[in-house]
Parts: sequence; structure tokens; C-alpha cells
Amino acid sequence: MKTTLTLAALATMALAVGCATKKGFEQPGFAFGCPIGDTKVSSMDDLVKSKTAMEGRRTTIQATEMRCTKAGDLMKIDANLNNDSKTVKRIAYKFRWIDREGIRAAEEESWKPLMMYENSNLMVNAVAPNPKAVDFRLILMSQE
Amino acid sequence: MKKYLALAAAAALIGGCAHEQTRYGDARGVETVTNEFGSTDLQLIAESMARSMQQAPAIASGNLPIVTVQEVKNKTSEYIDTRAITDSIRSELQKGGKVRFAVDAPGMTPQVDEIKRQQSEYYAKESAVEKGQMVGAQYRMEGNITSIVKQVRDTKDVYYKFNLQLWNIRNGLLEWSDEKEIRKTTTR
Repeated sequence: MKTTLTLAALATMALAVGCATKKGFEQPGFAFGCPIGDTKVSSMDDLVKSKTAMEGRRTTIQATEMRCTKAGDLMKIDANLNNDSKTVKRIAYKFRWIDREGIRAAEEESWKPLMMYENSNLMVNAVAPNPKAVDFRLILMSQE
Repeated sequence: MKKYLALAAAAALIGGCAHEQTRYGDARGVETVTNEFGSTDLQLIAESMARSMQQAPAIASGNLPIVTVQEVKNKTSEYIDTRAITDSIRSELQKGGKVRFAVDAPGMTPQVDEIKRQQSEYYAKESAVEKGQMVGAQYRMEGNITSIVKQVRDTKDVYYKFNLQLWNIRNGLLEWSDEKEIRKTTTR
């Protein structure tokens, strides 16, 4: 009986700590470390949707996960791309950097070509070009 | 009559085919005209190196370190304007606002010439720059680009490796180094 009570207390504590940690990490206006402003983001899918755009020819490659952090005063992003098709896919991607006023914080990046094997994931990462860049969009384009 | 019409149509068709068209393109788009070193490779290298170097403790410290650009050796079998690569890296870093650049070896002659010119009798002494006021760099940036090319009948594979280093001039320590790899394959 005593053991059960102790275990239950431990589980409650762990749960509370878990929740507190998650809340503690997230500042208001951020989700998974990424800036979201007033956008309602309640899941990773919401975040990815709000931060990803397609230009030119559309691709089936999709961003599935994104995490942001700071490297000094520069924003750092890790984005996971997924190719769930049965063929090799070729895409190009770039990050668009946005400043506090919603204006582009830097000159447009160059398109980066990328080859993705069938049924594979690939982590692309980027560092903001300057401290003014406080938000971003990941742009994808098919190269096939 | 029919013969002439056919000839005229053929001539018009040939004329039409030979018609040249010039259009502006995306200077930052992916260029795959040949598998030789191209604009996309230059941009990829410059962007990747500059962003990586900005995170080096020597640069990120916020002390606005002074860097001088030295040679990037071209160890590939093709002609590559390595100065264009270092110029792009320098521009990217300059825009990042974390580093200052001192005049480099190729820029020294015009710099000295300008100082000498200002010290000539034609300039007001108060506004002319003095000798001995130039600031030496704390770090030097150098690197190299190598390639491995393999070719069989219908396939040509090119692998480029660009390596850049940041050396502390005072103590000779390597403060930062990074690489960018690029692979391009052409098949007929």
C-alpha cells in the first residue's frame, strides 16, 4: 500500500515537473523555440504549416519538424524534411529571413539544391545572417 | 508555285528556329547547365562558410575582430576564380556586422598609393591621412578548394570540397575551420 502511494506521488510529481518544464521553456510568442507572433500554434504540424511555403513547382517533400534556438544573438533553425515516396526526389530550398517589422532582414538567400533518397528524412539547418532576423520562412521548390 | 511556297515555309521555319531570345533569369536560382564550377556552387560555399564563421567564438564574441583575407588555393583541375569566392564570403560577413576587414595583400598597393597621393603637395595637410595609422588584422582567412572528377562513357561525377580556416595571427592558433562539400553528376 505504502509502495503504491509512493509510486503514485512520484508519478504525479514527474507529471507536474514535465508540464512545468515544457511551459518553462516556451516564452510567450514562441513554439518549439520558433517565433510565432500571434499565430495560434498548438502542435508541431501547426508550426511547420505556418513556417513553410512552396514556390515554383510544387514538391511532395514536406517539412515535418522544426526547432529553433539561439547561437549567440543569431537565430538557428533545424528543419526535418521527409520524402515518403518510393523515388529519389530533387528539390531546392532556402530560408527567408524576416525582421521585427515583418520586412526582409537580409537579401534573398540562394536556392540550395538537395537530393533526398526514397523513404528518407534529412535535417537541414540554417543560421540567421544577422541579429535583425527574428523570424523566418522555409521555402521549398521541386527541381524535377 | 507549290515548290516556292514550300521553300518559303521552310525558310521561315529555319529563320524562326534561329531566332535568338534573351531573358533575365534568377541570379540565385539553381544552375545546372554543365557540371563545372558554377554560380550555385559559389553562392552555396559563400553562404555556408560565412554563416558558419559567424558562430566561431572569435567572431561571435562581439569585439568586432579584424580579419584579412588571404588566398584560397585552387587545387582543382579547372579554372575557378577563388577571389570571387572570398569576395562573396567577405560581403556576407560584412553584412552580418560581426567582423571588420583590414586591407589584404592585393589591396595593399592601391592603399599605399592613395596614402602617398594624399601626402603630396596637392592636399591640405589637416585632411590628408598620415602614414602609420593603418590597423593590422588579428586573424587571417585562408583556404583551398579541391575536386575529384570521375568519368566513364556516359557519366561524369564531380566532387568539390571547399575548406576555409581562420588563423590567429598573433599566436598562430587555428580559431575556426569548416568545409563545404558539393557533388554533381551528369549523365547523358
